[in-house]
Amino acid sequence: MTTGTTGTADEAPLFGPESQFDAFFDDPRWALAVIRATVLEAAHPQIGAALVDNSTFVAHPWRRLRNTFFSMRRMFGTDPAVREREAARLNRLHARMSGSDSRGHAYDAMDPATRAWVVATLFESAVTMCRLSGQPLDQDTMERMYAEYRAFLAALDGDAGQLPEELHDFWRYFDRVVEDELENTEAARVILYRLFDHLPAPALLDGAPTLWAAGRAIAGPLLGAITIASLPEPYRRRAGLPEMPGAPTLMQGAYLAAGLARFLPKGWINAEGIIEVLSLSPGSDDPRARTVAALRARMKRASALLRLLAPLGGDPDPDPAPGPSAGTGEGRRSAAEFFRQVLDQTGDGHLDWPDLAAMARELSTRLDLDEPEETRLYDAFAAWWRELQATLDTDGDGRVSADEYATAVPSLAGPALIRVAEVLFDATDKDGSGTIDADEYRTLFRTAFHRDLTATDGAYGRSAFVGDFLSFMSGRRTSTPYDPLLADA
Amino acid sequence: MDGNGRWAQRRSLPRTAGHRAAETTVIDIIEAARAAGVEWLSLYAFSTENWNRPGTEVDYLMRLVRRVVRKHAPLLLARNIRCRFLGVADPRIPRELAWDFADLTTLTAGNRGMTLTVAFDHGGRRDIVEAAKSLIRSRTPADEVTERLFADHLPFPDTPDVDLVIRTSGEQRISNFMLWQVAYAEWVFPEVLWPDFRAPDFLACLHTYRRRDRRFGDVPPRTNGDPS
Repeated sequence: MTTGTTGTADEAPLFGPESQFDAFFDDPRWALAVIRATVLEAAHPQIGAALVDNSTFVAHPWRRLRNTFFSMRRMFGTDPAVREREAARLNRLHARMSGSDSRGHAYDAMDPATRAWVVATLFESAVTMCRLSGQPLDQDTMERMYAEYRAFLAALDGDAGQLPEELHDFWRYFDRVVEDELENTEAARVILYRLFDHLPAPALLDGAPTLWAAGRAIAGPLLGAITIASLPEPYRRRAGLPEMPGAPTLMQGAYLAAGLARFLPKGWINAEGIIEVLSLSPGSDDPRARTVAALRARMKRASALLRLLAPLGGDPDPDPAPGPSAGTGEGRRSAAEFFRQVLDQTGDGHLDWPDLAAMARELSTRLDLDEPEETRLYDAFAAWWRELQATLDTDGDGRVSADEYATAVPSLAGPALIRVAEVLFDATDKDGSGTIDADEYRTLFRTAFHRDLTATDGAYGRSAFVGDFLSFMSGRRTSTPYDPLLADA
Repeated sequence: MDGNGRWAQRRSLPRTAGHRAAETTVIDIIEAARAAGVEWLSLYAFSTENWNRPGTEVDYLMRLVRRVVRKHAPLLLARNIRCRFLGVADPRIPRELAWDFADLTTLTAGNRGMTLTVAFDHGGRRDIVEAAKSLIRSRTPADEVTERLFADHLPFPDTPDVDLVIRTSGEQRISNFMLWQVAYAEWVFPEVLWPDFRAPDFLACLHTYRRRDRRFGDVPPRTNGDPS
C-alpha cells in the first residue's frame, strides 16, 4: 500500500505505536510545533488561499483540531485498511477544494507539490521542536522520522516523489521553498494575529466566558510571539514579522518547559483525552460530562463571585457575559447569532459555498460516509446554496451577508433545505430501515437519544428527523443535538 | 419596604438618605428571618409603578441597589441563602445591575437554607399576564386550565402561597404585590418606618401571625366544650 516506504524487515514499522510520530502525539511540545507548522503551511500561497477560503479554523478551531487529530491518528495507526480509507476520505475532501484567491491565482488542494509542503512543514517542525527544547534528535532517528513522513505522503498521494528521497536533500528543498515561495499570506497573518486573540472557548469552557477571555488576553499574544520567534529567519524577514527583544528567549523557554514534560510519569499527558474532554458539551451523556457539568457550574459560580467582588467603577469584564437575555426568549437565538455560530462556518462574515461545504464536510466526517453517499450530501448542500443565493443574495455579490440573511430569515426553509434533511436522514440511516436507531443516532450526534424521541417507539422517524433539522436550521432553536455538531467552536 | 422617604423627611434629610438607611434594615431582616426559621422571604424593593418617581431618585436607587448587591453577595452565599430577582424586565434597568442580579442568582443557585426573592421592577398583574401569555403559547386547551396549572406558568412557579405580608409605615394597600400568591395571606401593618424596622419588630410580626386564626375560607374549628 505504501509505495515509497524504505523499511526493511529488521527495522521497526513506519506506522503504528513504534513510530517516532506516535511518540510525539502526547508531547506538549508538539502543540507549539503544530502551530508553527500551520503558519508555515499557511505562508505557502496556494495553501494560504485554500485555508482562507475553505477552512473553519477561525470560527470552529476546536472542532477542526479534533478532526485533524483523529485523522492523523488514523493515518499513523497500525491498520493499513483504516489508513487507506482515511487517505481516500482526505483526498475526496481536498478534491472539493479548489478556486482562486483574491488576486485571481488559482489554487487546488490536490496539487502534489503543495501537499508535499504540508508534510514537509510537519516534519521540519518536529525536528525543530526537538532542537529548540534542547533535546535534538540524532541522525538515525531523524532519518527514520523522515521515512515515516514520506510514507505518510505516499499513503496520501500514492507516491512521495515530491519530497526528496534523502534527508540530506530535504534541507535544501525546505530552504528553497522558504526563501522562494513563502509569502506574507493573509492566512498566515490570520493565524499569527487574529486566531489566538479571538479564539472562541471550547465547549468545555463555554460557561466561563470571563475566565476564558482573561486567559486568552494573556496567552494569545504570548503564543503569537513564541510562534513568530520560532519561524525560519528568511521567512520572518520576507513577511515583515516583528523581532521583539526577549522573544527568542521566551520561545526557547516555552519549548524547554514543554520539553520538561518528559519527566512526568508516563500517561499523565494524554492528548486524546484532553481533546475529548475539551469538546464535551453539557448535554452529552458521556460519564465524564456529569463531572464536567458540575465543574462548569462551579466555574460559573466562581466567575460570578469574581465579577461581584471586583471593585465597582470601570467595567471589569472585557468580554461581558450576556446577562439575562432580555430580548430573546428561552431556547431561541437571534438571527445574527445563528449566522455567526452556524451558517458562517469559515468565520469571514459572509455566507457562501465554502461555509455550506464545511457543514457537509463535518456531517460526512461524523457519519464516516463513503461514496456515493458523500457526493449526494454535498450535492444536496450545493442545491441548498443555490436556493439561498437566489433568495437571499439581494445585492448580487455572490454571497450572503449577515444583514441580507437577517432581513430574509423566514424564507430559509425552502424545498432544497428539506432535501438536505432527507439526504442526511438517508445517510444517517445506515441500515436503510427507515428509522434511525440508537446506534445510528449516536454516530451522528455522539450522544444518546433524548427522552422525548424514545417516547414513540425507540426509534427516530424520517418526518421527526426532517422536522427537527428544519427547526434548527430555520427556527433557530437552540439546545438541539445539532448545536454541538455545527455551532460549537 | 415603605417609609424611607418619610423617615428622611422627619430628619430633614434628602429622600436618598432614607434609601441608604434601608440597607441596614434589609440585612437585619434577612438575618432575623433566617434565624427564625423562615424558608421563603420576599422583599418588595421596586414596583413597576416606582418608575414614575423623579429620575434622580430612580438613578440613585439603581446605583444603591447595585452597591448593596455586590457588598453583600459573599454574606448571602455564606449564609446559604438562595437569591433571585422577580420582575427585572424593564429596559430602563441599567445593564450592569441586571448582570449583577444574574451573577448573584448564579452564585447562590445551589443554596438551600432560605430562598430570598427580591421583587425588583415587579408588578403582580404583569406576572399574571405573563402566565396567561405562556399558557396561550403552550397551546393549552381552555378546559384544561386549572389554578394549579396556571400557577405553574407564573414566574418562579416554585414559590409557595404567601403566608404573611408585612407592610411597614402604616400603609394599608396591596400595591400590586405578588397578587396571585397573596390570595390567603395574613397582613400585618406595623406603624414603624422601614429604616427603623428591626429584628424585634419582625419577630413581633411573626408572633402576631401565629396568633391569627387562619381559616382559608372555612368555619372556625370546634373548640373544647362545644356540644358535639
